[in-house]
Amino acid sequence: MTVIRVPVPSKNSFNPDRPVSGLLKAQILHLQDAEKRLPLDLRSNIYINAIKTEGEAADYVRQVTEAIHEAHIDAGRRRTKRRRKARPSIEIAAAADERSVRKTKKKARKKPARKKA
Amino acid sequence: MPPGLDNLKHIVVLMMENRSFDHMLGALKAQDPRIDGITDQSTNPDITGAQIKAQSLAEFQGQLDPDPDHHFPAVDLQIFNGDTTAGRAPTMQGFIKSYFNQQRNVPHSQKIMYYFTPDKLPVLTTLATEFAVFNRWFASIPGPTICNRAFAHYGTSFGRVDMNLLYVNEPFKSIYNRLISANPKHTAKLYYYDQTSSTMEITNLLQNQPELFGTFQQFLDDCDKGDLPDYSFVEPNYSDHDSDVGEELASDQHPDHNIQAGEQFIASVYNAIKQNADLWQSTALLVVYDEHGGIYDHVPPPPCPPDGFTASPNDTGTGMEFKFDRLGVRVPAILISPWIPKGTVVDGRIFEHASIPATITKFFLGDYSPRSPREASAEIFLEPAAQPNAANNLLSLAVMRTDCPAFA
Repeated sequence: MTVIRVPVPSKNSFNPDRPVSGLLKAQILHLQDAEKRLPLDLRSNIYINAIKTEGEAADYVRQVTEAIHEAHIDAGRRRTKRRRKARPSIEIAAAADERSVRKTKKKARKKPARKKA
Repeated sequence: MPPGLDNLKHIVVLMMENRSFDHMLGALKAQDPRIDGITDQSTNPDITGAQIKAQSLAEFQGQLDPDPDHHFPAVDLQIFNGDTTAGRAPTMQGFIKSYFNQQRNVPHSQKIMYYFTPDKLPVLTTLATEFAVFNRWFASIPGPTICNRAFAHYGTSFGRVDMNLLYVNEPFKSIYNRLISANPKHTAKLYYYDQTSSTMEITNLLQNQPELFGTFQQFLDDCDKGDLPDYSFVEPNYSDHDSDVGEELASDQHPDHNIQAGEQFIASVYNAIKQNADLWQSTALLVVYDEHGGIYDHVPPPPCPPDGFTASPNDTGTGMEFKFDRLGVRVPAILISPWIPKGTVVDGRIFEHASIPATITKFFLGDYSPRSPREASAEIFLEPAAQPNAANNLLSLAVMRTDCPAFA
């Protein structure tokens, strides 16, 4: 088996101050669109027009990506909670239904008979 | 069934950024004339009218700055050299002119013709010569990243030729949703590098189905544990950024990011699969680039069946409408598996990114509809053995190879 050595990039290559490319700009705009749909407490409050460098773009990308995941996890938790609470509420609903039937009967009884003209 | 296909359980696609075939692999023609790369005829006129040859002077970084224009009007100029007549033919003679438009600097504009020698790209060129390299894999659209990547996810860009928000129109589902909602169910995942790099598939998938995504570390762990999904799509790191482990170099190879960081990344994906013996013999890895990034290639993109959408003259920016009836510029594409004969060159068939969902769908789900017209007519790169085109099966070896290279 041949083993190929993979050269390591120069240490000077790392440049988070590089101006954002068209690709990163598009990614930021798509994330901003997604961010508008997030709950208020999960939004980044970063003004995207001020993002000029890759490092700044990366920070925004991370915050919104994490927030999207968090929003879905939160929604999942709420869904589970609602499901757990669902059983007792059936009994209450049934009782409520019974009362409403009784009320309807009462109301029906109370309704004054039409006077004959 | 051929043993390679019989064993095949996982397909992994790694999509890199913005490099043309000739730029990355064109020099291999000197080693293997079957590879359709750079020749003495690989030239373009510069703005003075001088014919400039393609030269092996490409550097890892710092050369293609500013980022060469690869939006629809610029790519139209690169392919058609400014000809807008009705019967125009693609000549691939407008690359230097297009790059000149950005800085109006004649010597700088000629750098768009530079290509790498194989010794500078040991990972990509080794994979190309050891496994199957495609002579005719084109970007889906003569345009930028987002619409081209959409073809890999949906088999269409839903009429878009740009980077703007792209919302899926039913009924064409993503390849991931097709797989996870199938009966029997299949598994699929998109692995982005990390939360700080994220994905380019935000509008439809990340914001609505974040559970489809994992990080590259999870990909490595899944390979290690043998938990890889049936289908995986891997995205590189799109930015230089700091992380808990230190400085992370962009590995997407998008100009002006470091090419060697991308080489390391490709090697790490390959190694992760290869080091798990069970996974290695049951996985096919496709390494492909989303589009050419404005960089020279000599093969004219062919016409293709229209996609049923029309981009207006305003959307294309050329004053002409586009019916999605011509492919984009050729890009590097390599299929890797120990069941592929060493030195396979795939020639004569035309592939594009719609070939990705077309292949995955055919392989895991069989006949499926609805699909976009482009996807329905796309060539597939892994032929189910029972199909009439089984002769095109690339995983054709009767015995698995044990001589595949390793990267260190």
